Amino acid sequence: MTTPMLEIRDLHARIEDREILKGVNLIVPKGEVHAVMGRNGSGKSTLSYVLAGKEDYEVTAGEVLLDGVNLLDLEPDERAAAGLFLAFQYPIEIPGVATMTFLKAAMNAQRKARGEPELTTPDFMRAVKEAGTALRIDSDMLKRALNVGFSGGEKKRAEILQMALLKPKMCILDETDSGLDIDALKLVAEGVNALRAPDRSMLVITHYQRLLNHIVPDVVHVFSDGRIVESGTKELALELEAKGYAEFDEAAA
Amino acid sequence: MRAPVRLGAAENTLIAQLNEAGARDEAERLGLSGLPTRRVEAYHYTDLKLLLRAVPPLAAGAGEALTPPVDIPGAFRLSIVNGRPHIAGEVPKGVIVGIAEGAALTERDDVLVRLNSALARETLTLTIEGDVGPVIHIDRQTTGVAAHAPSSVRLFLADGARATILETYATSDAAHVANHGGFVQLGRGATLTHVTVDRSARPSAHLATTEYEIGGEAKLRTLTVHAGAGLERAQIFARMGGEGAHADFTGLNLTDGGQHADITLEVRHAKGHCSCKPLYKQIARGRSKAVFQGKIVVERDAQKTDAKLMMQGLMLSDEAEILSKPELEIFADDVVCGHGSTCGRLDEDWLFYLTSRGIPQREAETMLVRGFIAELLDPIEDEGLNAALQGVVDGWLAGK
Repeated sequence: MTTPMLEIRDLHARIEDREILKGVNLIVPKGEVHAVMGRNGSGKSTLSYVLAGKEDYEVTAGEVLLDGVNLLDLEPDERAAAGLFLAFQYPIEIPGVATMTFLKAAMNAQRKARGEPELTTPDFMRAVKEAGTALRIDSDMLKRALNVGFSGGEKKRAEILQMALLKPKMCILDETDSGLDIDALKLVAEGVNALRAPDRSMLVITHYQRLLNHIVPDVVHVFSDGRIVESGTKELALELEAKGYAEFDEAAA
Repeated sequence: MRAPVRLGAAENTLIAQLNEAGARDEAERLGLSGLPTRRVEAYHYTDLKLLLRAVPPLAAGAGEALTPPVDIPGAFRLSIVNGRPHIAGEVPKGVIVGIAEGAALTERDDVLVRLNSALARETLTLTIEGDVGPVIHIDRQTTGVAAHAPSSVRLFLADGARATILETYATSDAAHVANHGGFVQLGRGATLTHVTVDRSARPSAHLATTEYEIGGEAKLRTLTVHAGAGLERAQIFARMGGEGAHADFTGLNLTDGGQHADITLEVRHAKGHCSCKPLYKQIARGRSKAVFQGKIVVERDAQKTDAKLMMQGLMLSDEAEILSKPELEIFADDVVCGHGSTCGRLDEDWLFYLTSRGIPQREAETMLVRGFIAELLDPIEDEGLNAALQGVVDGWLAGK
C-alpha cells in the first residue's frame, strides 16, 4: 500500500480551555478529493487551521502525516514548503504588500526551502499570467495590494491562483463557496478541478452540498462535535442535504 | 516668584557659548529658564534637561568630510560640514546657490530655534526658479571630535517653481550636538518635495527645526525620517499663508534600543481653502521611545480648511514606547478637521497568512513592516531617491 497523502490519527486540539477537535481520524489517499461536511461550529475550520499550524490552537494529542512527514513538528512556512496549502475561508487583506511581490516571495521561499533555484522574473511573470488567465484574474487586480479592495469572488479566485502557482500536494479548501454567487462558484470550481492530479489530494470543507455538485468528491465525511462520525460516497452529501445534520449528532453523542 | 532654576553642565556650556557669540540676552534668558523639562508642554515627552546632559565645545572648523549617508545618482550635491557650507560642482539650471551671514530661522519662542539663530554663523541659500529636474541633495555633516554644531539653510522656491530636495544628516562617531535650522518658502503655485533623513551616529544628538511658509496654490510634500542619532528631535513649523495650498506632511520614526526620537509638527492655517494631510508613522523596537506631537491651528480667516492628522505606531518589542499627541485648535467655523492615532503590533493573522504560504516568519515580518511604510515612500516619485529611502528602511530592518 502506498503512503497516503494525508493521515490524521486521533487528533485532539483546543483553544484556551475549550477542546474543539476530539479525536479526528482521516486518511486521504493520493489523488483523491475528500469532502468534510458539518454544521457551523462543529470544528471544521479549526481542523484546517490546526493542519496549517495556526498559533492559537494547542494540539493535545494525535498525529498528522503529510506524505509520511510529521506535520505537527513543523512551522507554518515549513508545512507550506512540504506541500500543504490552505485556501482561507476569509482571505486576509494586507495593505501595503503588493500582490505580485507576495506571490513571488511565496514561490521563491518554497523553492528555496526545497533547495531549488529562485524563479527568474520573466518565468515568474509567465507563470502568473498563465494561471491568472484561466481564473480571469487580470493584471489590474494583481497590481493592487494583497486582497485589498477585492470582491468576495476575487478573493477566492486569488486563493486558487496561489494554489495553482504553489503547486501543493495537499490542498485544504475551507468554505471556498462561502460568499460566492453561482457564476463565481463555477469559476472557482473549474479552477480547482483543473488542479486535480494523481499526485495531488484535496480536502474540501463545506457545510453546503452545493459546492460538491461542482467539485465532485471521491469520499464524503460528516463532521460533528470535533470528530468524523460518518464517511461515505458522494451520495452521503445528498442524504445530509435532505435530512439535515441532526441525525448525525446522535451518532456523535 | 519662581525659584531659580538649577543649571546643569549642558546649560552652563550653552550660556558660555552664547555669551562668547555676543548673544547676551539669549544667554541671560537661558540662565533663567534652563533647558526645557517635561513641564514645558512642547517638550513634555522630550525632556531636554534630562536628555542633553553635556554640550561639547562649538565646532571650530570643517573636519574631514564623511561619505554621504545616501547617494542619489544624478543628484546635485551641496554640503555643510560643521556649519560651514561648501558649494562645488555644476549648479543645475534654475538653481541659484549662495552663502549668507547669520541664521535663517525666524524669531520663535523655542530654545532650539533661539540657539540656532544666535550661534549659526552662515546660511546656505538656494533659490529655485522653474522646474529643476535633478534631486538637490544637501548633505549636512558634523565631523571630527565631539562638537556643538549649528547649521542653517534657506530655500526659496519662486512662483511656479518645482523641485525635489533631499537633506541628509550625518555625524562622526562622537557625542556631537547638531542643531540644524532650515527656512523654506514656497512661492505661489510652487511644488516641493522635501525629504530629510537623519543618519547620524548613535552617540550624537540630532536636533533640527524647519519652518515652511507656503504660498497660495503651492504644493508641498515633506518626509522626515529618523534612523540615526541616539536623541533625535525634528521640529516642523508650517504656515499655510496663501489660499488653495496643499501640504502632505509625513514622517517616520525608526527607533531601536536606547534611542529617543521625536517629531513635533505645528501647521498653522492662516488663509482659507487650504488642505493638509499630516501622516506620521513610528516603529519602535528594543527599549526605545518614539514620540510624535502634531498640532493643527486653524485661524479665524482660514475658512474651508480641510485638515486630517494621522499617526500610526507599530511596536516591535514589549519594552518599546510609542507616544502620540494630536491636537486641533480651530478658530474658524466652516472647516473639516480630524485626527486619529493608532498603535499596535504586527497583526498575527497577517503573519499567519504569509507564513502559511511558505514565507518564513522573519521575512513575513519584514514584508509587513515595509507594507506599513509603503504609504510614505510610494509618493516619492524620483526613483533614485525612492530606492535610497527604501535602502535606509531595509538597513534599519536588518539592524544596521
